[in-house]
This record gives sequence, C-alpha cells and structure tokens, in this order.
Amino acid sequence: MKSSCLPNGSFLHRWLPRPFPVLSLAILAFPLLASPTIADDRKGLDYFEKYVRPLLVNRCLKCHSIGSESIGGNLLLDSRQGWTRGGDLGPAIQPGSPAKSLLMDAILHRSDDLEMPPDGKLSPHEIGILQEWIRMGAPDPRNGKASRQKSINFERGREFWAFQPLGQHPPKVPDAIEGYPSGNQLDRFLQTRQAELGFPSQPTASRPVLIRRLKLGLLGLPPDPDEVEQFVNDPSADAYEKRVDRYLASPRYGEVWGRHWLDVARYADSNGLDENIAYGNAWRYRDYVIRSMNADKPFDQFTREQLAGDLLASERKPVHENNDPIIATGFLSLGPKVLAEVDETKMEMDIVDEQVDTVGRVFLAVTLGCARCHDHKFDPISTRDYYAMAGIFKSTRTMEHFRKIARWNEVSLATQQQKQAWEQLQKKLENRQEELKANIRKEQARSGQQKETGFSAAARKNLETLRKKIAELEAAQTELPTAMSVTDLESPVDLRVHIRGNHLTLGENVPRGFPRVLGHSGRLPENQSGRLELANWLVSPKHPLVARVIVNRIWRWHFGRGIVESTDNFGKLGSRPTHPELLDWLAWKLIESEWSIKSLHRLILTSRTYQLTSRIDGNLQAKDDENLLQGRTSIRRMEAEAIRDSLLFVAGRLDLRMGGSQLHVKNREFLFDHTSKDLTRYDARTRSVYLPVIRNHLYDVFQLFDYSDASVTDSNRSSTTVAPQALFLMNSEFSAEISESLADRILASKSNPASRHRLAYQIAFSREPTYDEISRDRSFLREMQNEMGQKSAWNLFCQTILMSNEFLYIR
Amino acid sequence: MNTSCSEKLDGNLAPAATPTRRDILKHSAIGFGHMAFSILLAGQASAGEQERAPAGAAPADASNPLAPRIPHFRPAAKRIIFLFMKGGPSHLDTFDFKPQLQKDDGKELPFAKPRVQFAKTGKLLKSPWKFTPHGKSGMLVSELFPHVAKHVDEICFLHSVHGTNAAHGGALLKLHTGSDNFVRPSMGSWVTFGLGSENENLPGFITICPTLAHGGVKNWSNAFLPAYYQGTPLGVASQPSDRARLKYARSRQPAKTQRRQLDLLSQFNQKHLEASGLEQSLAARMQSFELAFRMQTEMPELEDLSGESAETGKLYGLDNPITEDFGRQCLLARRFSEQGVRFVQVTHSDSKVQWDQHSNLLNGHAKNSSEVDLPIAGLLTDLKRRGLLDETLVLWGGEFGRTPVAENNNGRDHNPQGFTMWMAGGGVKGGFRYGATDDYGYYAIEDRMHVHDLHATLLHLLGLDHKKLTYRYAGREFRLTDVSGEAALKIIA
Repeated sequence: MKSSCLPNGSFLHRWLPRPFPVLSLAILAFPLLASPTIADDRKGLDYFEKYVRPLLVNRCLKCHSIGSESIGGNLLLDSRQGWTRGGDLGPAIQPGSPAKSLLMDAILHRSDDLEMPPDGKLSPHEIGILQEWIRMGAPDPRNGKASRQKSINFERGREFWAFQPLGQHPPKVPDAIEGYPSGNQLDRFLQTRQAELGFPSQPTASRPVLIRRLKLGLLGLPPDPDEVEQFVNDPSADAYEKRVDRYLASPRYGEVWGRHWLDVARYADSNGLDENIAYGNAWRYRDYVIRSMNADKPFDQFTREQLAGDLLASERKPVHENNDPIIATGFLSLGPKVLAEVDETKMEMDIVDEQVDTVGRVFLAVTLGCARCHDHKFDPISTRDYYAMAGIFKSTRTMEHFRKIARWNEVSLATQQQKQAWEQLQKKLENRQEELKANIRKEQARSGQQKETGFSAAARKNLETLRKKIAELEAAQTELPTAMSVTDLESPVDLRVHIRGNHLTLGENVPRGFPRVLGHSGRLPENQSGRLELANWLVSPKHPLVARVIVNRIWRWHFGRGIVESTDNFGKLGSRPTHPELLDWLAWKLIESEWSIKSLHRLILTSRTYQLTSRIDGNLQAKDDENLLQGRTSIRRMEAEAIRDSLLFVAGRLDLRMGGSQLHVKNREFLFDHTSKDLTRYDARTRSVYLPVIRNHLYDVFQLFDYSDASVTDSNRSSTTVAPQALFLMNSEFSAEISESLADRILASKSNPASRHRLAYQIAFSREPTYDEISRDRSFLREMQNEMGQKSAWNLFCQTILMSNEFLYIR
Repeated sequence: MNTSCSEKLDGNLAPAATPTRRDILKHSAIGFGHMAFSILLAGQASAGEQERAPAGAAPADASNPLAPRIPHFRPAAKRIIFLFMKGGPSHLDTFDFKPQLQKDDGKELPFAKPRVQFAKTGKLLKSPWKFTPHGKSGMLVSELFPHVAKHVDEICFLHSVHGTNAAHGGALLKLHTGSDNFVRPSMGSWVTFGLGSENENLPGFITICPTLAHGGVKNWSNAFLPAYYQGTPLGVASQPSDRARLKYARSRQPAKTQRRQLDLLSQFNQKHLEASGLEQSLAARMQSFELAFRMQTEMPELEDLSGESAETGKLYGLDNPITEDFGRQCLLARRFSEQGVRFVQVTHSDSKVQWDQHSNLLNGHAKNSSEVDLPIAGLLTDLKRRGLLDETLVLWGGEFGRTPVAENNNGRDHNPQGFTMWMAGGGVKGGFRYGATDDYGYYAIEDRMHVHDLHATLLHLLGLDHKKLTYRYAGREFRLTDVSGEAALKIIA
C-alpha cells in the first residue's frame, strides 16, 4: 500500500484509527519526564519554548489569539488562561491527560465536526510534540489574561434601519410636486425622489395595456376581448377604480395572491429531500390560504392562525364548523423534511431548525437559521436568541414520531356525525367479515374440504355474495378527514445552546423567547409552547418588521421589485430600501386599515405610479437604467402559473373548478419509492395553483419558468430566459394542443379571414392589429395554407402568437 | 449569428429576420443603452473574439450565460464524467482488499460500530470474491471488475472517502450537493457556473438516466444559482437508456416550416421590441429561440448512436443485452464530452436501488458489476484513443460503501464511514492509491477524504479554487464545500 503521510519518519504510521481508543505513545523520541521537580519545571518550560511555542505561533494563533480577526470557536491559545477556560466546547487541555484533551481530538481529526487546523492536518511530528507537552502537564509560562468573549451589542444592533420601531406617527406625505401630474398620496413619495434627479414625467399606459396589466397582475389571466372593449369604452370617471374592485372581488384573485403566499410558505405536497412521501392533506392548507386571501382575512389574524391556530381556543368555533385555524398550522408542518434520517435527535432538531428559519424569513425577513451554529455573523442575532426560538418549536408537536420513516402529526377534522357513521360502517364491515370466516369454517366442516373449490355450488355462491357485500362496504368506507397540524407538547421544554449546531455538544440552557434585538423580554408561559405569544408579539402594531416585510412583498408582487429588493432578507446583508419613508407609510396604512391586504392593493393600484407606461424613454433610461425609482413601469415576463393558465384560458380550455387534491397517491404514500417512476399527473386543466407541487420533481413546465423551489421561502422569484423554455413552446404536446384549440376557437367564431385575424390579436394581445401586421400575417397564412391546409396553417399561426414576447410579457 | 447557423443548416433554414445592428438602428426611433445594444450584437462575434470572463463571474456576453470562463488557475481537466453507481457499491468486494477481513470471517468486529447506523448488523463477513494484482502498478481488483482492472495504471483509487449520512436520500444529496438537509446547487451546476460550457448549442451539464428517488431533481438542480446552470436530464433510471432524450427537442413540423414560423416570430418580437424600447430581457428571449433551434438540431444528432462503428459499439458492450443499457449511457457520455459538455453524469440504477445489497450480496453485486464493468472499460479505452482522457476526469462511485459486518447473514449495510471512489484521466496519478480504511474497511483512517474534500479536489482539478467559487444568495456567499473541504493535492499527476 502506498502510504503518503509519512513526512517525518514512520513511527506514527497508521496510528490512531478513529474508532479505536487513543494509543499511548510509549515510543516517542521526546524527552520523557518522571515526577515533577524544579529541574523538571525548567525542563518543561524549555520544552515549551523550544517546541510548543513556535508550533502554536505557526499553526494556531492566527485564529486563536486576542488579535485574531475572529476567534475560532472562541478559543484562545495565546495564554494559559485561554486554553484552561477554553472556547465554546469547554476547556481545551486537560494537563497530564492527552486522551481527555479536546485539543488532541481536534488535531487528530477524531471527529468531522472538529478538525484543526482547518488548512491542513499537523504532521505526526507536530502532533507528537503537543501530545507530549500535554502529558507533561502542559507547562505554559504565558500568564496574560484572556480577553472576554466577543458578544453582540444589541443596543447598537437596534440602530439598524430594519430594527427601528415604526415610530409614533406615520411619515409625513410629501407635498405635491410642481410639474408632476397629481396622483394619490403614494405617488408623492416616488415623485419627490424623481424630481430631485430631474426625471421627465411619463404618461400613463393606454387603457388596453392597463386592463391587461391589471388583470394579469391580480387574476393571472389576460382580459377577454369583450372586457377590453367595455373598459376602453367606459366613459365614467371611475372606470378604472370599478375595474380594480371587480377584479379584487373575483375568486380568481385568491388563486393568484394565495399562490404568492404559498411561495413564502414554501408550500408543497411532498416532504422532498430524501424519501419522497405525499403530504396528502397539505392541499387543505393551500385552499385555506386561497380562501383567506379571497375573504381579505386581516393579515394579523392570518399570521396568528398559521402560527398558533390550535391555541386560539377562545376564538375557535366547534371544529366541524370552522376548521381553518387548525388547518392553518399546516404552515409549520409542511416544510421539507428528511424523514429517513437515522439519527433521530438530529432529525428532530433539523425540523425545529426548519421552522425557526422559516418563521424568521417569512415574518421578519431575518435569517435566524444562521444562528444555529454560531452568533449571526452580520445581524444582531445570537445563538441564545436562536435556541430561545427553537425551544418554542421543540415544545410543539410537529411529528408523531421520528423513527424512519418518520410520521408527521395530523389532527382529525371529522365531525361527531362523521365519526359515528364511520364507526357504524366499520362495525358492519367487521360483522360481515366475521360472518364470512364463520361460513367458510362451517362449510369446511360440512364438506370435509379445505379449499373452497371443493365446496358445493350453493355454498360458493353464498360466499361470493358475502364477499361482494364486503367489497361494497369497503368502497363506501371513506377515510376520516385529517389535517397536517401541530399541537403543543404536554409540558414545554427549554433548550440548551447546541454548540456549533451539534446536538452532541450542549451549552447553556436558554429560556424560550424571541430575538432580543427586537426588544421583547417577557417570559413565556410554563404550560404552553409560546407560539401564541410569538404570534401576538409579531402582529403587535409597533413590531418593527412584520408590517414592513409584508407591504414590501406586496409591492414586489405588483412591480417586480421590492422597495427593499431582498424581500426575504432585511438584515445587514440584504438591500436597503430605495424609499424608506414610503415603506413605513405603507406599513402604517396596512395597520390602520386593520391589516386589510385588499385595501393596500387599492392604494397601490389606484396610484399613478402603477398606471405609468412601460415604454422606455431614452432620457429616463439614461438617468435610471434599472428603473429603481420607478419613473415608469418595468416590463415583466408572466410567472409560470400565469403562462400555463393564460395559454389554457385563451384556448378556451381552462377549468375553473376550485380546490381539492390532485395527488395520485394517498396520504403518506411514496410518490417515488425506489423506482424513479413519476406517476404524478399534471393533465388536469384546472388553474396551476391546484396542481401537485412535488418537491424533488416539480412539474417540468413550472420548473422551466422559474417556479418557486418549494423548499425555502421565496417572495422574489427570478425570471430567467433559457433555450429549453423556447423548446417547450415550440415542440411540446401542450403547446400544440393549446394552439389547435385557439385555432378552433377563432375559426369557429368568425368566418372571414380579416375578422379571424383581428380576433386572434384581440384574444392574445388585447389590441387590434396594425395595417402592416395584417398584410404580413395574412400573407404568411396564405402561404402556409397552400402548403398545409387551412387548419394546420392556423394552428401554426396561433402557436407563433402565443410564443411571442407580446403575449408572454406584461407591460 | 448567420454564420453559426448556416454551418449546421442548409441555407433555407438560416433565420431570416434576427435583428442586426443595422436593423436596430434603422427601426429604433429611440435611444437605447449600451447594455441592450451589446446583447443584440454579441451573438455575431465568433467565439474567439469573445472576451472570457473569470470563473464564477457573469459572462462577458450576457446573452450567452454558458460562455466559457477563465479558471482560477491552470486546470488539469476540462470536464467531468461522473459514473454514479446508485445504492452504494461495496468497496470491500471491488477495489479495497482487506486480508484481515478474509481471515476474521464470522468473528465479532473488534471495535465499536458507529453511533448511528442504518440497519442492524452482525459479525464480520468476508468477501466472496478473489482479488488479484493488475497492471504495472499491481493494484488489487476483485473478480467483479475484470475489464476495469485492465486500466488500473490509469486509475487513482480514493480509499478514504467518507460522508456523514447513512441513508440513501441524505447521502445522495450530500454527494451531489454537499448538503443533506439544505437545498444547495449540485456539483455539476457549480462547475458549469464556474466554467461555463465549451459548446453554446448544448446544455453545459447533462445527467443521463438519473434517479428520481432520494433527492431526485435536487441532485442535479441549480438551487439558487441562475437556471442556466441546472442539469438537463435525459431519460430516467426506470426507463431503458435508448429512451434517454432531451425533452421537447423533436419538432412537430418539418424543419423548413418551423424555420418559417420562427422567422415570423422574430418579426413579431422585433416589432414589440421597438414599441417597448430596448429591453434586455426581450432581446435575450429572441436569442433563446435561435439557440433552441440550433440545440434541437444538434442534440438529436448526438443522441443518435447509429453513426458509431460496430467496433465502437462492441467496445461499450452494445452487442450484449447485459451491458447494452449502461454501455449506451457511457457512449452518450463520451459523445457529449467530446462536444464540450462540461459535466456529464451517468447513473447506473434500475428501477430499484441497484447496488443496495442488504442481502444476497453475491448475486446482486455480480449482476451489477456485469452490467457496468465492460462499458466503463470501453469508455476509458475510447476516451484514451481519442486523446480525450488527459483532459476528461472520469469519476466512479456510489453514495457510500458497505459494512464489513453482515446484514441478514449474506448482505452488507450502508457504510458512509469509509469507502472507495476512483478517478481516471484528467490529470490524476494512475496506478495510485490515496488514503486507506482500517483493517476491516469500516472507517477511513488515513488521508481521510470527506465528501467536501472530494468536491474541493474535483474543483481543483478543473482549475477552480473551491473557496473562491462562491455565489451570493440571501445575504451571504455560498460555496459547494460550505465551510470546509480541502483539495487532495497528492493525487495530481
């Protein structure tokens, strides 16, 4: 065997295999010492100066001295006190006992979690030096004081903009700006910045462009030709406002804006990660979100239900009447999970971590998850804060058990009546089964035959009838409805800090609580997890983050870019708001409207800013190429769902039935076992929001068009342009089917070529064709018609229209 | 652009109406930014003229996100072929011979088993296969791989690979993405993000017959990296490899008709672009249809093996029903590599977890190796004779190895504590062993190579510093190796 780690002789060849106890190094060629004497002390110090000090200086002190940029694991090796007290993991050296010294574990790479130095293992010679030194009692003349551990300054942390309270009053609305057309109050915040930079003011979009933008934005579908015509010809002064109200009242609204929230809630119908198992009841949460959006459920209530619906006892109606608060806590449960993790404690802490991290991103736009292993490097969040939050979720029952394959918790939604009916049917079923067994036994005894084939014809017929009855009963017996939901543990627990996130190395105990920088210090109840207190604290009107975060997301979903561009990260490494006063003003408006999201929509949609043209003006572009200050409307590609739904809609193929599950497997069954056979079907023609979301194997059309990853909060989807998207539109069966249907629709509704062509433009682009377009397209159609016949030519033409930028982009 | 298309297509099929600089000037009534302008023109520059951006940076030409980049330092390999043996092949029965295990068959393991294990295991179980020395280097290889054994002088065995997860899902994700509990880009995505691709008409990262179980798409997903760097799957593990095809790459129309359609589309888009003012995303989307058209010409040609000689077919075992399926995958991998695809993964798995012999090791491993041994050897031979092996790194292995102790009397459990992968070509030492497991092959003990170290090493061989290849997402820099990883420099030739 070629061994390659023998730079300094072979005496340490292949020593210390990881699972073996540490070997004693009796053969070391270092000065060995007997009982301590003054001479020994001197010898020891000589040994330190000669061998140990240079080694520490060269290999360790860069990261383990007071002067280090950041002190690795808070361990100092530049003084005796430093290693005596030790770092996060405790004392580093046990004088006289290398085997009990953490330092030896680290330099021997005994554990993957602790391998030092990080830039390459010490040579056997160097390891030998340290081992011997420790064995000698670790003589160390360096009596300097070790510095205090670095800690987070929460006071200073609070000075950061995002952690500043919203203040006593809403920011003052700027005065109207001369030379800029008046809009609503919202516009003035933007116009003030634009005027400072001398932006030329832009016109609003034409009505056909506007209605298309509005309907695609709110309902995810393009307007019908009739709708466009009505709107364009509506002479009333509030034609636009009426349109806004009408769309906000449509059930289609919740399907689009609920979907936005589902991106935030990292919604999926499977656990993903390792074994992929169906979250067969996740759809109840999805439908709850859509329902809530359509009902304009106040956002504070929406928040409380998702975090603590099960604890909202006083607000809860009998379960069978209103299951929403129970269903809502599915939010906590439907994250990605490794259900076949062999290390059960790790699985439990990973699930808790996913919840802490998600709650942090969703409501605070703070990456709490970063503090699982160390104090947050950038934001004022400590590991204590993390484990204070983690304690809340550790005290929550998300899982029934953790044995592979682990089972998540579900709560029955059955009414008393349903339960009784189920039990009665079950009883009947059991009776029949008993009867069948008894009959068989009886017949066996009578005929002396074991097998049924030996029974008389009459007896066989009798058994057959009985079996048929049983099958009927089985078919009639439905599963009782359950929801993915959490409950509190009987007695809540506080967690100890997990040093470096490792559940095997535990530090101090931390009472359950919320991040200190956000200024809450009350104690949580002894008999509940604290989720309800968490929810109430989040939606208390003075909370600095929650309202800012949600209004910013809504802004992002309307305009394609948030006032804070990093919509899921308001921390130090996130972006700063382009319009901080506007953000705060909107947050105030939301709270003042009793958290009505639809009111916020109205405010935004009726602004002039929303209605601005998207046409790029050269002067404006020169000043603000990226449109950061929103002097115009940015052109955006439709999102994945809108693409699919709009294609189906123009083709007249969209099925508007709402709700329910479309999974092909039962709850808790494998979506994939080991077979790699994807049996999930996406051929339903319902709206995209109702199609299954299978983590690890998203519907490829969604995947292609930048759908959310469904594993992590994402309120800022990207929009990429890749060739496979083009291939899908050019060559897929779906694209062909849609084009054919659109062609059918057009050919059936009009009889002459000119009106057909005109209708195609009205349906796909919400406008009339120009003269140039008429002559160009009709010559194309004539030419293709000669080659392939009328229907095929129209199929081809319709497909071309639907592949075009004008169809796919919202301007 | 006209030139690059007409090379592949006859004159009729070249696009008629892609905007040219002159068209834009003529039709645009408005001014436009330099950015959008360069996007439209970039496609017209030949590859040689294009400025190359450094690794991991945005490409110089924004309309071609896969444009090749300059590595951090001189690379030993240009591309990777990863032969993934799903389920966890036993190192103890293939490439890591353990005489002590043979001797102590049936005895208790003399040291502790890991704290966390996947299944219950019993006593030591010796390998039922004989190991014999091969090549000049005298490397020991078992009877399971007689053909691969002929190449040992080109192979660098990594005997000390170890991971942390003992379940398939976690281990697959760890191996492919570096993380078993977070969503992270796969190594192929990182490599493509770092280096771009040598062929702008093909995806930069292709995975042939991947498994949908155990992490599924996440194993070839770009996660938070831009979508250009996602792996393109051809087929799935449950289907025969002759059905491995790029999705949606077959036109439903004759090429001429579709060309005519795309020309009309281009006119639609051109007009829309003028009406909107020059908007980068609109221009980029126009380009994407042209790229798609070229891709659908090139991919089916590459997927069609009928042009390969009978001799080559035989080399990969296409003449034998046992080796045919995996042989076809290996041959496809060579064809893609040859055309400049940066990262090609080939997966050996049937509709079960193929290498997962919890019991019946003897039959299972014999069947599995008989399917892959000859094709892998064929791939190495073919790459070598085409002069591709020097710059193509071939990586072989599974998500973990197997235990020296028996499960169900005649099988072995998952063992992430120490197992063997191997590399060939691409600048690694041949006939070389790196690292070692203990006397029974349970734990890696010498030159331990964690999965992060493996990743650091792969990137290093491609000229990438794993600490520098980072991507900023959700407020911080991410990398394939998280916060650890060390390249094994000793294996470099």
